Amino acid sequence: MWLPIVGLIAGVVFGFYLNINVPQEYSSYLSIALLAGLDTIFGGIRSHLERVFNVRVFISGFFFNTLFAAGLAFLGAFLGIDLYLAAIVAFGVRLFNNLAIIRRILLANWLNKRDV
Amino acid sequence: MGQNRKITFILTTISAIIGVMLAVQLQSNLHPLQSESRSITELRKVLLQEQEKSKVLLADISKQEQLLSQYQESLDSVDSIGVMKEELSRAQKQAGLASVSGKGIIIQIEQDPILNEQWDAENLPLPDPSNLVLDVDLRWLTNELLANGAQVLSINNNRLLSNSSIRNVGEKIQVDTKTIRMPYEIKALGNPDTLISSMKLEGLEEFFRSVNMKVTIEERENLVIPAFNGTKHIQHMKPIKAKGDS
Repeated sequence: MWLPIVGLIAGVVFGFYLNINVPQEYSSYLSIALLAGLDTIFGGIRSHLERVFNVRVFISGFFFNTLFAAGLAFLGAFLGIDLYLAAIVAFGVRLFNNLAIIRRILLANWLNKRDV
Repeated sequence: MGQNRKITFILTTISAIIGVMLAVQLQSNLHPLQSESRSITELRKVLLQEQEKSKVLLADISKQEQLLSQYQESLDSVDSIGVMKEELSRAQKQAGLASVSGKGIIIQIEQDPILNEQWDAENLPLPDPSNLVLDVDLRWLTNELLANGAQVLSINNNRLLSNSSIRNVGEKIQVDTKTIRMPYEIKALGNPDTLISSMKLEGLEEFFRSVNMKVTIEERENLVIPAFNGTKHIQHMKPIKAKGDS
């Protein structure tokens, strides 16, 4: 179960090692994609805790969310609509939602264990 | 178990991807790449401003350099003041504005008392001694002295300059504008030996004896000839316009 965390660390190291500098104008797309990815991760954790975790949903969610977030933001910039902000708000709200649910489940689990 | 491992593998991959994205995003925010998004007119404006700035800075630099060179010049001139003073005193000596001392001779021309007695004894009328020595005689004498290596001359302590005049005015002799009287005393700076011998060779004593004058030549180790003390007539010289205050 610790392998994903090892993978995360390896990814960070690899990213720094690559030394890629994203230009300012594309930075917002990357940040949105990152936000979507984080949301997917927390969603996965939540579904895992709720025992409804499905690998296919998770993988498809991750890739679709990131790509669509970035794509919509790009389209918004193209059309002159700040869809980028909408994506940020939407993913932000979902992220905090997921975090809250995870916290509540963990808390409930911990309380249950202590009561037993 | 196989399913579980697969899920772990996928999760690891995805977290690795997210890690890469995180790292890239972090790096981009830490060292943002400056990209130009301003219009050409804006850029031109900025360029003009910068050019203006650089002009001001260049002007500043040249001003400072000027100041520096001025200071250096003044530093140099502190050194050269000594040289200038030396030069000035040399020029003053040459121009006769400063007293000069050195080896030289004194020629005294006075009435010969013995001859006077003889004349007296023979009841001849005593001539005015001033009439006996003329300006021409003194001019000849000074000219001979100069020709034989005298550097500085004075007659009765009147310094002779390059444009000095010796002339008869009435019955008196004037050096420049000053009247001189008997006895005449001529001081000359130069090698005493050559001056004395040349005077003897020229027949100085005989020449003046013919006009009832006695000539004595004395050699002096340290002869002082005073500075010219008359008024100077500068005709063709003008002071150079002073160069700044530095």
